[in-house]
Amino acid sequence: MNRDEAKTILLLYRPGTADAGDPEIAAALALAKQDPELTRWLVEHCRRQEAVRAGFRKITAPAGLKEQIISEQAAHEKMLFWRQRAVLAVAAVVVALVVLTPLWFQHRGQDDTYANYRNRMASVALRGYSMELATNNPASVRAYLAQNDAPSDYVLPAPLEKAALTGCAIESWQGAKVSMICFRTGKPLPPGEQSNLWLFVIDRSRVKDAPPAGSRQMIQISRLRMVTWTEGDKLYVLGMAGDEQTLRQFL
Amino acid sequence: MAEGMDFEGLVACYYEPLYQFALSLARDESDACDLTQQTFCIWAAKGHQLRDASKVKTWLFTTLHREFLGTRRRQTRFPHIELESAATELPVVLPPTDSRLDAPQVFDALARLDEIYQAPVALFYLQDCSYNEIAEILDVPLGTVKSRLTRGLGRLHQLLADDAAGPQPPPPKS
Repeated sequence: MNRDEAKTILLLYRPGTADAGDPEIAAALALAKQDPELTRWLVEHCRRQEAVRAGFRKITAPAGLKEQIISEQAAHEKMLFWRQRAVLAVAAVVVALVVLTPLWFQHRGQDDTYANYRNRMASVALRGYSMELATNNPASVRAYLAQNDAPSDYVLPAPLEKAALTGCAIESWQGAKVSMICFRTGKPLPPGEQSNLWLFVIDRSRVKDAPPAGSRQMIQISRLRMVTWTEGDKLYVLGMAGDEQTLRQFL
Repeated sequence: MAEGMDFEGLVACYYEPLYQFALSLARDESDACDLTQQTFCIWAAKGHQLRDASKVKTWLFTTLHREFLGTRRRQTRFPHIELESAATELPVVLPPTDSRLDAPQVFDALARLDEIYQAPVALFYLQDCSYNEIAEILDVPLGTVKSRLTRGLGRLHQLLADDAAGPQPPPPKS
């Protein structure tokens, strides 16, 4: 290593730092100890380095920068805290909805009471249904119902046997099939209607508090007059839009 | 987070040198404050990922430098020049420099350096960073750091000496 090479290396030398540990710088420093001219250059260089270094370090950060950084971070953390709270709250609501909604529907779905059944069948009769089989043949109706696993071994009251059969449909209630047999009372039908007397038959065991055998209950649901009774293992609901006296004619 | 140092302690320890480095890069107080604050903001979000507590300083300076580069959206890339290839043009005779320099003087001279020399020179003088630390912060090879420092320091001293000498008188008319 000659003098110029040493100067090149020592250009990066900062007195008082770990630079002296660098092997190249250490070798150049060793050479400087033996070379008076290089020693003078090094002294001047160190003075220069210190001057520049001191000049750089005179710069100071604006007053309040530290406090600003800390306070803004604190505000940011506070905002994050509340945002996390909000997210957790929303998540909790979502979880609650996810958990409770099926339970609610399940609870609703488990309303297998007699009253619920009557209301539902009244709703079917009043708000519309689609006649799946239009026929006046009782055997065809029973065959269709049996074919679709709906109650078909029902027993009709004698007067109802004589009523004008128009067809049938199959409804569903709480997972059970309900046979809907449609008749005409003989009175004029509303426009678009095919029947105005309906008999709903369901397995009695599917209705929690079905009335005991032998009793008939007459009820009014909306504009539908209904009579219910139990016979054998079936629960019957007969309904029509009319008065009780007319309804009794079919029992 | 670095062992034994909370956020406030970390800010107290590093905000000043980070600001100095940011100012040397951005040359604008407001931008330097923003860079410094952003660096600590990133630390607050990601600092926990740093396992080696001894690397906090390097991490902070690296992050600040990256943030600066990101905000600059620089189009041109800095060329890497190895020390060996630059050795022939190294200044070995430096001009005398005033021993009493103030911050505006040195920062003005730093601003007049080519951009590729500014960051390593600032880290060299401001933070006493080792060459390896500078290489890590700037994400360049060690040889490149040394070559940039050699050139940058030589040019910086030259500029300071020229400033100290004052404006040159015009040549006499014949």
